[in-house]
Amino acid sequence: MTQFLSLLLNGISLGAMYALIALGFVIIFKASEVVSFTHGSLLLLGAYSIARLSEPLGFLLAALVGIAITAVAAFVIERVIINRLRGAAVISLAIVTIGVDIILLTELIRRIGSDILNVPHPWAGGSVRVGDVGISENRLIAIAVAAVLIGLFFAAFKYSNWGIAMRASAEDGETAALMGIKQGRVSALAWVVAGVLAAVAALFLVGSPTPGVSPSTYAVALRAFPAAILGGLDSTGGALVGGLLIGIAEAMAAGYQDQLLFLGRGFSAVVPFIVMIAVLMFRPSGLFGTKELTRV
Amino acid sequence: MRLSKRSTGATMLAAGLVLAATGCSTKAPESGGGGGGGGGGADVQTDIGVEGQTIRLGVLTDLTGVFAALGKDITQANELFWEDNQVCDTYDVELDVQDTGYVPQQGVQLYSGMKDSILAMQQTIGSPINTALAPEYESDQIVNFPSAWSKTLTEIPGTGVVGATYDVEIANGYDYLFEEGLLAEGDTVGHIYFEGEYGANGLAGTKAVAEEMGLEVIEAQIKATDQDMSAQVTQFAAAGVDLIALTVAPGQTASVATVAEAQGLDVPILGSNPVFAPGLLQGPAADWLKTHLYVASPVSSFDAHPELLEQYKEAYPEATVSLGVVVGFGMSEMMKQVLDAACENGDLTREGVLNAFSELEEVETGGLVVPIQGFEVGKSPSLQSFVLQPADVEGGAKVLADAFEGQFAEQIAG
Repeated sequence: MTQFLSLLLNGISLGAMYALIALGFVIIFKASEVVSFTHGSLLLLGAYSIARLSEPLGFLLAALVGIAITAVAAFVIERVIINRLRGAAVISLAIVTIGVDIILLTELIRRIGSDILNVPHPWAGGSVRVGDVGISENRLIAIAVAAVLIGLFFAAFKYSNWGIAMRASAEDGETAALMGIKQGRVSALAWVVAGVLAAVAALFLVGSPTPGVSPSTYAVALRAFPAAILGGLDSTGGALVGGLLIGIAEAMAAGYQDQLLFLGRGFSAVVPFIVMIAVLMFRPSGLFGTKELTRV
Repeated sequence: MRLSKRSTGATMLAAGLVLAATGCSTKAPESGGGGGGGGGGADVQTDIGVEGQTIRLGVLTDLTGVFAALGKDITQANELFWEDNQVCDTYDVELDVQDTGYVPQQGVQLYSGMKDSILAMQQTIGSPINTALAPEYESDQIVNFPSAWSKTLTEIPGTGVVGATYDVEIANGYDYLFEEGLLAEGDTVGHIYFEGEYGANGLAGTKAVAEEMGLEVIEAQIKATDQDMSAQVTQFAAAGVDLIALTVAPGQTASVATVAEAQGLDVPILGSNPVFAPGLLQGPAADWLKTHLYVASPVSSFDAHPELLEQYKEAYPEATVSLGVVVGFGMSEMMKQVLDAACENGDLTREGVLNAFSELEEVETGGLVVPIQGFEVGKSPSLQSFVLQPADVEGGAKVLADAFEGQFAEQIAG
């Protein structure tokens, strides 16, 4: 039971961060109809900036500046590239984002090299134990911060002008434009929000129990993509559910590796994709995608 | 309904691209062999890579990829060594240093550019690149020192693994733990290892020891990109392991230490030599590592070789040194012994160097690298290992046990 609870808690904390990344993925798709593959490198950019700036600026300021840098990078990608290609086919835009991702990633990997850059979180490697179940403080704080951010996001999405404009654009772009909604602005803001969410996820992903910033941090985003897709690419709620589902499935598959031996070693690494494929077989638009679409 | 179709299509596209992005593969092209000619001393025969009194050696290292820091340390140590040393007091050595960025294809291309002007390879970094170049090294009769310790590398004629292979190495680590009373017969061991040759080779060592000592082994295979070891350590804690064995990279080591500490899993951690990097001592896991991690290693640390550290820091004052420097000096010393022997045989041709390499026995590097018995194809070149532990010293580790041959080594080496 202890093992199960530990794995569940670990899965939830991992899932919360996947959800943050997946949410960014979804809002970019909703606002600009781009399947953005830049998220891996944006995540790494956030982590790298925070780690590098921690020494001169201290943790708190470095975190804020690092998040701002990532948001600005996302904004620049949207303004300089995506906005100019408005109207291009979904597949062309997706491949453009892969190109941007590779360029940014190559530079970051070159800069990081084989170092492990540590982010000096004030809570460092501390842990909390309830009975026999232990979790790092970093992960606990991550769950809390993710919950607050996701809550704020949903509130903004529902009540703020930007949220309404974005939902209107996603429902029917042309009519929204005729109603005076500036799609370019909606799209740019969506990219900025996605950048912020990725950087916040990065801030916790590089803390205990993960070792710090290394090029492998990038791989986390690859697991958040299936979270967004299985939740429904145009469903913000789906991103949250998808993130948690993937996080928990992955932690369980890794923790019960011995019991799942008949599926082969290293099964946990493919779990996100198996869950995604299984869901898409039965619901091609994802868990929550269809519901949103039937209203059109 | 337009949006519905489009959205579904985009979902499928994204799913497909994600799958494609995570399942990339690398396949190295091959290129043909070749040769050239050169001058040489009066009574020493030479062919490729020797011009007058200068021998040219190739270095395929990583200066911009994931192993850039390590590659830089090894290469600078190679350069520093050859600045001060000559082959049979006659020939200077010049290095042709090329950066592969840890991309096998790049390595193959760079080798085809340099192969007509070099006598041998002072260094080739990374198992994938060594494996990609194996057919060419074999057909070109190249003597090469890799900075990896996989058993498959010993299958390449002319390739000299600088110490014991991973299976022998970790078995020596077990031996140390048994001797020190940190592990007992019948205990349970949880081993986290990378998929692929490196991990499999380390795990083979654990399994061999387990068979001898009745250990129960819980295996946890991971990918090199997995960074969070919570689930694996949780599994080990539930199984009540007495030791965690690692054949991974430093990132995973740090994660294992922080999770073990968080879960109160107070057991020793034994690692293959690549599990540790000095950078770990700046992280939150530092204190746990300094008391719990034991690293079986083919090289010594700087606390046993202060003069080496001094020399290196003088030449490269800005560098943060790692034990890669010791590896670099050690492999250059071995190359010198090979070339000296070939020179004494009067044959500094590639074939002559390869023969000298194959005939080499009992290679000593002044305690930098474990003593090498000889380079026999398919066999671990050494049966000995050092045991190191992280500490607040230059290079990040202190020596707990000098080079020794554990009780399991010979049997595993075959």
